[in-house]
Amino acid sequence: MSFSTFVTDKAGLQKFYEAIMASQETYAPVEKFGKFDFKRVSALAECDPESPIAKTMSIKPLFFPRTAKVMKFVATSAGTDVSEVDEDPLAVKRVILGVKHCDARSLQVLDKVYNWDYIDTDYQNRRQNTVIISTRCDKADTHCFCTSLDYDVENLDAMDILVVHGTDGKEYIKARTEKGNELLSSDVTRHASPVTEEITAPVLKSQYASFAASFRLKMNYKEVNEKLSKIFDTPEFENVSGNCVSCNTCAFVCPTCHCFKISDEKIKDTGVRYKSYDSCNNGYFTLMAGGHNPRPAKYRRWRQRAMHKFVYYKERFGENLCVGCGKCTISCPVNISIFEVVNQVSAAAMQE
Amino acid sequence: MNYTKQIQDIASQLFAEGKIDVFVGYRLNGFDDNQVPVLIKDPQDVHKLVFTDKSVFNLVNYLKTDHTRRKRVGLVVKGCDSRSLNLMLTENQVKRENIYVVGICCEGVTDDAGQKMQNCVDCMVPDAVVSDELLGTASGADTLTYKMNADVAALSNIPLTERAAYFEEVFENCIRCNACRHSCPLCYCAKCCIDQETATLYNGANTTSAAFHALMTWSLHLAGRCVDCRNCEKACPSHLPLHLLHKQNESVIFENFQEHLAGVIPEDRGAFYKYSLKDPDDFIM
Repeated sequence: MSFSTFVTDKAGLQKFYEAIMASQETYAPVEKFGKFDFKRVSALAECDPESPIAKTMSIKPLFFPRTAKVMKFVATSAGTDVSEVDEDPLAVKRVILGVKHCDARSLQVLDKVYNWDYIDTDYQNRRQNTVIISTRCDKADTHCFCTSLDYDVENLDAMDILVVHGTDGKEYIKARTEKGNELLSSDVTRHASPVTEEITAPVLKSQYASFAASFRLKMNYKEVNEKLSKIFDTPEFENVSGNCVSCNTCAFVCPTCHCFKISDEKIKDTGVRYKSYDSCNNGYFTLMAGGHNPRPAKYRRWRQRAMHKFVYYKERFGENLCVGCGKCTISCPVNISIFEVVNQVSAAAMQE
Repeated sequence: MNYTKQIQDIASQLFAEGKIDVFVGYRLNGFDDNQVPVLIKDPQDVHKLVFTDKSVFNLVNYLKTDHTRRKRVGLVVKGCDSRSLNLMLTENQVKRENIYVVGICCEGVTDDAGQKMQNCVDCMVPDAVVSDELLGTASGADTLTYKMNADVAALSNIPLTERAAYFEEVFENCIRCNACRHSCPLCYCAKCCIDQETATLYNGANTTSAAFHALMTWSLHLAGRCVDCRNCEKACPSHLPLHLLHKQNESVIFENFQEHLAGVIPEDRGAFYKYSLKDPDDFIM
């Protein structure tokens, strides 16, 4: 079935965003200390849906929060009473604006792991109640490489509504899912006019062509993935991880990292159990109760991170876990690039 | 500021004489002028080394890793880096005889926008205070005049409630990745109190109170030790103004603890060891 598409101008797009904010619970990139994070907004002046990709945090925390309460407990003389936490504030009907394509894609990838063995109902609820409006970038940033990976950026269907700044100076708003179509059929599009596929297709194509031509980084994904899967024991991992300071910030800003730890906050007899982010680059990540640590060395942890992104997840779920957004590289205090690491390791393996 | 040639020569000579096992320096990232720290073990890789005003990261951080532990290390240090190295030596974390220090008389490093970094503008000790070999022209200043950080001065002038509100915002935007602590050259504890999952006070949860406890504890552990290299701010993915905590501590300590400035004097045990009967105690209730 075909979904509706609208065309408007710059002012019309702003009015479209404002209409959404007026009628829906909306999240958008809000600047604080020079960095954009997705927060609840009520007016366009508070946020910037066109926030630069290098300065924007991922939307992962809106689905997998940095910290979530798992349960509450009270110790009594009869034992421990465990109770449910308050209602999930992220599970309400909402719209997220200004999402980058790589971020939208990351949810598609994460869906696989959250729909696997254990079904995470909190995640499912948040996903089902959210409409994602994703703007296609006009230009790739220094560390972007989404077009090099295993997914089709041009025809990506990870968002509900696609916004494209056409090369003809017009703004195109296109529904990609039933949910998105429903939102567009309400009066939020009153400042835009419907347009047919025949007109939009060439404009979108030429916009994508100029976007795709702006990438500095390009890799042969198939080759990298294939080689990495065969070179677990290469000493090259030790070389590439040497300058990592194990600060873990890569995992915290990554849109697809989904490891977490459990911690309790206790005051006297009552407490709350929290689920918070963790990182496989942490020295104690694999530390077991008996004191054994299967990944004591940094290069083993780095290998796990690179291989999980580029090999293991692909083997298990058929998708590459890295979406090529470059957030880890931008945030890295010592400028380590995951792109460079996987290319260097696979190239070194070829020489062996 | 460009000491690329000199550093390459020194490193090759050190390898040739068999004096070091690994040389810690900077290399270009391969596409723009930003740099990546590099640990060179093979003398053939010495040509990768560079040093310009983009050599930002404090390399003393690498002295805490397995790559350098119990090895003889060649190391490039700027003024602030050398102060942190001094503290590592004083606190018995590294042995002086194991490190060959290439000191730089630093003219200041630049950020991504090409601007001189704020800590370099405020720098009081630009020349390396510990070195086996010193590159560049020493600034020659004998006496030390304290330069107050403009942000700290501005903050101390606003009412306490507004200041509290400002810091509340800082702690709210902390995502508890602990990158600040890991990238700090002086946070060498193998098991830090702020990144233990089991400790109740500093649990791993990303709540504002946990962030407050973690960042305040961290900054107090670095009071009188922080050398203002800003590794923490470079690592912070939320771009939090962490230097405000450290510079505030620094100014208070300089004023009250016999003009103490971290790591400038070798073997200086730091403010917490400098008990004197003349120390002010009027803040104790």
